Amino acid sequence: MSETITAAPGIETAAAGVRQMSMQQALNRALDEILAENPKTVIFGEDCGRLGGVFRITDGLQAKHGEDRVFDTPLAESGILGMSVGLAMAGFHPIPEVQFDGFAYPAINQIVCQIARMNYRSRGTLPMPITLRVPSFGGIRAPEHHGESLESLFAHVPGLKVVSPSTPHDAYHLLKYAATRPDPVIFMEPKSRYWQKGPVDLTNALPSTTTHDGDPSNGGSLTGARVAREGRHLTLVAWGAMVARCLQVAELAAEDGIDVEVLDLRWLKPIDAEALATSVGKTRRAVVVHEAPLTSGLGAEVAQLITQSCFATLKAPVERVTGFDVPYPSGDLEDEYIPNIDRILFGIQRVLEYRRG
Amino acid sequence: MAEISFPLPDLGEGLIEATVLEWLVEPGQQVERNQAIVELETTKSALELPSPQAGKVVRIHGAPGDTINVGEPLIVFEVPDDTAGIVGTVPKDEAPKRRVRLSAVLDED
Repeated sequence: MSETITAAPGIETAAAGVRQMSMQQALNRALDEILAENPKTVIFGEDCGRLGGVFRITDGLQAKHGEDRVFDTPLAESGILGMSVGLAMAGFHPIPEVQFDGFAYPAINQIVCQIARMNYRSRGTLPMPITLRVPSFGGIRAPEHHGESLESLFAHVPGLKVVSPSTPHDAYHLLKYAATRPDPVIFMEPKSRYWQKGPVDLTNALPSTTTHDGDPSNGGSLTGARVAREGRHLTLVAWGAMVARCLQVAELAAEDGIDVEVLDLRWLKPIDAEALATSVGKTRRAVVVHEAPLTSGLGAEVAQLITQSCFATLKAPVERVTGFDVPYPSGDLEDEYIPNIDRILFGIQRVLEYRRG
Repeated sequence: MAEISFPLPDLGEGLIEATVLEWLVEPGQQVERNQAIVELETTKSALELPSPQAGKVVRIHGAPGDTINVGEPLIVFEVPDDTAGIVGTVPKDEAPKRRVRLSAVLDED
């Protein structure tokens, strides 16, 4: 399942099909291509049509593909997701957008009780090929309801798949992949990473890229985790916007002689347990980092999966560096809440210091 | 770059128009969110209108003494395409800063 990417300096990023794009541009391009490739695709949400979305992800799509395929909805998330259920029943492939993660709450009933269960309830006769795009997590100092980390909420619901890309390349390919799935996929876009550019290999879906040099490296699959950086001493497990921060931490740890591996989980349901076993089986130490609150966060699930596979060789209990058990703070207070470089380094130090007995 | 037009809002109690007293910004000027951009007078009061957003002023409508109806264009901003309409702030790519150093004796068994 897992995909190992080795940093390979010297590989030409200007290779055919590889171009620098922001995640915003990569997602826009993916949606454009999905609309062109599958006539059953419809895209809708608040401001998705004429405006092109508040984050410009659907920019230009209505003009190109028409008002009956890319359109605006009323400010009613339960309606957006309820309509998705009906469209999916009628054979369409809806890609609805919830404008901000905090606006998903009014639609939870439709997501949990309808979208996630319809295939099960109908004994497989009414699959829900819905890709729900949710601009997610914090990092843009937005007001309340505009920054949340809902991954464990969604991951807990049987019938849903949950994925979060951390690079423009993965955003492009994972969105195109998600849109072809027969099951509902919650696609969590790390909104603080919308604007950073990175290499996107449009022609090669399988390999992902490291953030170092964008090497389109060895093969793998879009369904598993991705080794974003190889290391020997400790594995940082992260997803979404925390991957970039963990890569920064890994560089700093290297200054102190600690060789950190960064595993980008990508899929949060199902989790790539094999990739966790492979990585931590090698490093024997793990810290999982997420923005969501600690209690019942996905870090607990990750820690258990690691313990299950690596208990005998673990040098220390799996450490968690997360947000706090408080409502997701708005504005500048975010800086005190989202795991920062020092808090992640402290987590690494706690693991390094651990002694049995 | 994208242009965003800001129409004269209802300044309270269903007033339908306002008169420009003095512009506090001019075309070409970069303004911050909540910066005072214009002094207006209504039949109720005179007030300074804060800017609804950051951006470069492209056009202003109405010279001092002119009356503008609610809903008519007041000021037009120019903002980068990728920030147009966003709630919140585009994060800056900053060099990582650290205070914590790692220390460990690693057994390489």
